[in-house]
Amino acid sequence: MIPLRAKPAIGLLIIAAACLAAAAAPMLAPYDPTQTSLLALNPPSAAHWLGTDELGRDILSRVLYGARISLGVGIGAAAVATLLGVPVGLGAGYLGGRTDLLAVQVIDLFIALPGLVLALIITAMVGPSIRNLILILGFVMWPAVARMVRGQAFAVRESVFVEAARAVGAQSGWIIRRHVWPNVVHVVAAQFAVTIAFAIFTSSSLSFLGLGVPPPTPDWGGMVRAGFDYLIVNPAMSLAPGAAVALTVAGFYLLGARDS
Amino acid sequence: MLTLVARRLLLALPNLVLISALLFFSVSGLLGNPAGMMLGQDASPAAIAELAHKMGFDRPLYMQYLSWMGSALTGDLGRSYATNESVAAALLPRIPITAELAVLAILVATLSATILNSLTVARRVVRPVAAIMGIFGITVPNFMLGISLIFLFSVRLGWLPTTGWAPWSDGVLEHLRHLLLPVLTLSAFYFGSFSLVYRAEYEMVRKELYVRVARAKGLSETAVSFKHVLPNSILPVITYIGISLGQLTGGAVVTETVFSVPGTGSLFVNAILARDFPVMLAVSMLIILGVVLMNLVADLLYTVANPRIRFT
Repeated sequence: MIPLRAKPAIGLLIIAAACLAAAAAPMLAPYDPTQTSLLALNPPSAAHWLGTDELGRDILSRVLYGARISLGVGIGAAAVATLLGVPVGLGAGYLGGRTDLLAVQVIDLFIALPGLVLALIITAMVGPSIRNLILILGFVMWPAVARMVRGQAFAVRESVFVEAARAVGAQSGWIIRRHVWPNVVHVVAAQFAVTIAFAIFTSSSLSFLGLGVPPPTPDWGGMVRAGFDYLIVNPAMSLAPGAAVALTVAGFYLLGARDS
Repeated sequence: MLTLVARRLLLALPNLVLISALLFFSVSGLLGNPAGMMLGQDASPAAIAELAHKMGFDRPLYMQYLSWMGSALTGDLGRSYATNESVAAALLPRIPITAELAVLAILVATLSATILNSLTVARRVVRPVAAIMGIFGITVPNFMLGISLIFLFSVRLGWLPTTGWAPWSDGVLEHLRHLLLPVLTLSAFYFGSFSLVYRAEYEMVRKELYVRVARAKGLSETAVSFKHVLPNSILPVITYIGISLGQLTGGAVVTETVFSVPGTGSLFVNAILARDFPVMLAVSMLIILGVVLMNLVADLLYTVANPRIRFT
């Protein structure tokens, strides 16, 4: 199918748009995203393309600024997950034996647990802030990265060039850096994009449930929740940030997902 | 079969104990002394100490854990800090609601993913549409999908109730009308991921010799697809169901919140927002227990679907 080959390109296009919104928000946004006014709950108009929310803030400006939070949390969490998951995956996959058995036990235990529920519990305990969210989501998602890397490293371990390196007396650490890592890095890169997608997915779900970045910071999940009560008055208040989340998640997913 | 079940349950036991202990220690460690929280900021230290002593919060953590576990096994899950209601009484009537939602969502996802991807009629149209729907299902968060569906079917078209829940006693039709959108919302993600897994296997099985034989003996393409390819491609989906059931509880939490479904998920969110430790703990344990049991069921289904596999 033709659209399949175009998938990463479509993903990149969406990501570029989201990055532009985040970087150029002060220039693109017509209003200050936290500036309240008396024009509460206005429907879309020429002055406010997406209308205003219950405090009279411009929704378009808030959606544009919201890209900063979502991208920041998503990329940060994916970085944490990768930093934790890659060493564990490489070690388990290459060394095998007992190390592998232990790592797989821990990874499987984590993967069976629902990530969102785990993130909810931890966030409730330590309190929501951008830094905490990045760390929590990274902690919840590292096992998926580790499992992916482990599988790949396991396959590379059996290849002839690794055997040759072992035969001439190379040490494990050197082989992993020099021979295994270059053959794993493309998987890590693809998984990085998918991890960003699900970090944004989960963090916006947390905000929707009321445990995300505290207000008045414009945050997509929280905006959807706030707009839910006014779905009849101004549907854009909920649907616009929701569409932004869905699109951004789809962008990173299309870029990174290798199957289908 | 019976020994298999017993053995798997026995193996799952240490995991259950480990996770529950971890959960208990970390949650109570980070929450600090709940007595202070229950009495409010103006309470005197003496009053807090007295309540803490009465409730047993001054005992070492492992003792608290053991006594919680002991009473949990006899069906006593403690009382909610927020409402002082018995946790077991609040939790029990909610379990069937979430279970119904989850089972129906998985059923809808499995049926639609396998049937839609096995259709041989108008394949060139159905396949890409199914693929795009799958990507949407995976990437659109539950809350966004739920709200969009409410906006379209309830607000704009007025066909379905916006939110809320109607028990079976309100009539079958009323029950289903309230159930439809939550089930669709919850199943979307699984439709997407089951489709991915199923399609990959389907394409492999289609190349098998017995499929060629079936075609050679004159079976129609539809009959080949549904009678020979489908049954042999469904195994990975069943495995996947087992893996996804844990994650499903996360989706259920969001979906129940969107649609105000009085299930365990919405109870959990409220408990978390109120820092209601006994309810939080009970629901988390229930989720973990559910995950372990569902994995077991998926394993058993696996042996039923493929008699070549026998776990020992």
